[in-house]
Amino acid sequence: MIQLKDVSYVRLGSPDLESAENFAIACLGLQIAERGKKELYLRSDDRAHTLCYSEGDARSQAVGFEVEDEASLQEAASTLESLGHAVHAGTAQEAEQRKVRTFIGFRDPTGNHIELVVRPERSGRRYFASRDAGITGFSHIGLNSTDPARDERFWTQVCNARVSDRIGDIPLMRVNAIHHTIALVRAPSAGIQHINHQVESSDDVLRSYYFLNEKRVPIVFGPGRHPTSGARFLYFRGPDGMIFEYSVGVVEIADEATHRPRQFGFEPTSFCMWGAKPAGMTLPNN
Amino acid sequence: MNNGHATPLITSVCYVRLAVSELHGSARFMSDIFGLQRVADQDGEIAFRSDHRYRTVSLGSHESVGIEVWDDEALETVGKRLRDLGFAVKDAEPAECRRRYVQSALLAEDASKNRIDLVVRPSHSGRRYFPSRDAGIVQFHSVGLRTTDHVRDMAFWKAIGAGVSDWVGDIAYLRIDGMHHRIALYPSKRNGLLYAAFEVEALDQIMQNSYFMQESQIRIVQGPGREAASRQIFLHVEGPDGLILSYVNGMAEYGDKPRLARQFPLTATSLCDWGSESSDVPELSAPV
Repeated sequence: MIQLKDVSYVRLGSPDLESAENFAIACLGLQIAERGKKELYLRSDDRAHTLCYSEGDARSQAVGFEVEDEASLQEAASTLESLGHAVHAGTAQEAEQRKVRTFIGFRDPTGNHIELVVRPERSGRRYFASRDAGITGFSHIGLNSTDPARDERFWTQVCNARVSDRIGDIPLMRVNAIHHTIALVRAPSAGIQHINHQVESSDDVLRSYYFLNEKRVPIVFGPGRHPTSGARFLYFRGPDGMIFEYSVGVVEIADEATHRPRQFGFEPTSFCMWGAKPAGMTLPNN
Repeated sequence: MNNGHATPLITSVCYVRLAVSELHGSARFMSDIFGLQRVADQDGEIAFRSDHRYRTVSLGSHESVGIEVWDDEALETVGKRLRDLGFAVKDAEPAECRRRYVQSALLAEDASKNRIDLVVRPSHSGRRYFPSRDAGIVQFHSVGLRTTDHVRDMAFWKAIGAGVSDWVGDIAYLRIDGMHHRIALYPSKRNGLLYAAFEVEALDQIMQNSYFMQESQIRIVQGPGREAASRQIFLHVEGPDGLILSYVNGMAEYGDKPRLARQFPLTATSLCDWGSESSDVPELSAPV
């Protein structure tokens, strides 16, 4: 079984790096780690980077997950190959671009580009944001799925993900104590549905709500609170249509052995217990 | 705060009586929309509960704020102090006490001609509070009062035992118990009650009520927001006759040690840390 330790980074293609940078700095509140000719590295916590924009097609997206060591990586590669997934062994140059020691790439059953990485770089300097959004770190992703039941099996049987809760047939899955690191979202094709950063407090969620409104950033859902994870949240739209989320207060699953996934009905109150309705963002099952 | 007494002179803000133009429509708003429990209809006033007290809001044709006084001796003391300072104070008739659900009272007026009822032994209820809608109200919490003469009005409140916790411009947050404030005085061109605030369980209820009001097409005057000085989260909702009703949560306690009142500038960020603004209530707005 492939042991994912944590989500490590997201790589996004963008035809307009300048707009992506402006948004990341002025709105989202990340820190520029490095500005290459065709790549922009952004920090959100003590890691060297957690988001990388590279010049290109916005449909080119990848998510990196950290695994324990090179042995685990090799084992993961053979597991994936035996299941019929084409595995790309990262070159040294590609590994350098990702600021990791080694990595492999493959596609999940929906076709999402997933990378497994070993020894992603940390930074000696602490994260210092460009605006005080209260970000404490990159935390999870929403991942498109053309068949949530099939993809749940992939993530939970081939990999070590565990279902924490379900809304309809949509699983929220954890790879460590945090309630979810991967949230599957029913969609017609592969893609990253949202990128989550944790913030310090609910004050930060509300402050950002007013701040982003003033900056005319489209708020697509929230401020709200997920009854599943308990997190207070705000979703908004960034460059190339990507949805970003701030949230705080995601529960941790304390008792791994006895936790039973709860079933929530597929309805608005299962996504927000405060009464927020998505605007310009479809709920994951539509 | 106790002015040399072993017990405080005043202990709580215990009710508001509101003057409304459409009694029954306003009463429906209070119970069905805002979430109070309607309990009585007596002497032309409709009474509502929000907590263990028999009633904390009355709708009728007169406006006044009830301040609970420790006992009749304390009532005599505050009466004398206010008279010495030249404020209008009169003893309440039995009918006036009955209308207020209290045992005894002095009916006073501050310098802005806000009616302040100083009351002893307001009625409590043996039954628990059971509202018609789950707005999450825990208790009647505090009031905001408009003042046209804040120097004289400060003298009024200090005389009966209130202390200033903090200032935002000339807005004074007045403390009468362990909480940051129970009365806030807002300099204004006119007098009257600015808002009556009800504490809810948590941020969850502030936000649920915010979405409920939006869906019910009730105007939100300001919020959800957070006062910088008191750390109190608020949602100001437009009630009957332009009166503001508020849901609040999370006010800081004043603490055990006396400290100097802090001065905050009269800016938007002092009034709301999160960035909410009130567009058309001058008392809640900072000059641009």
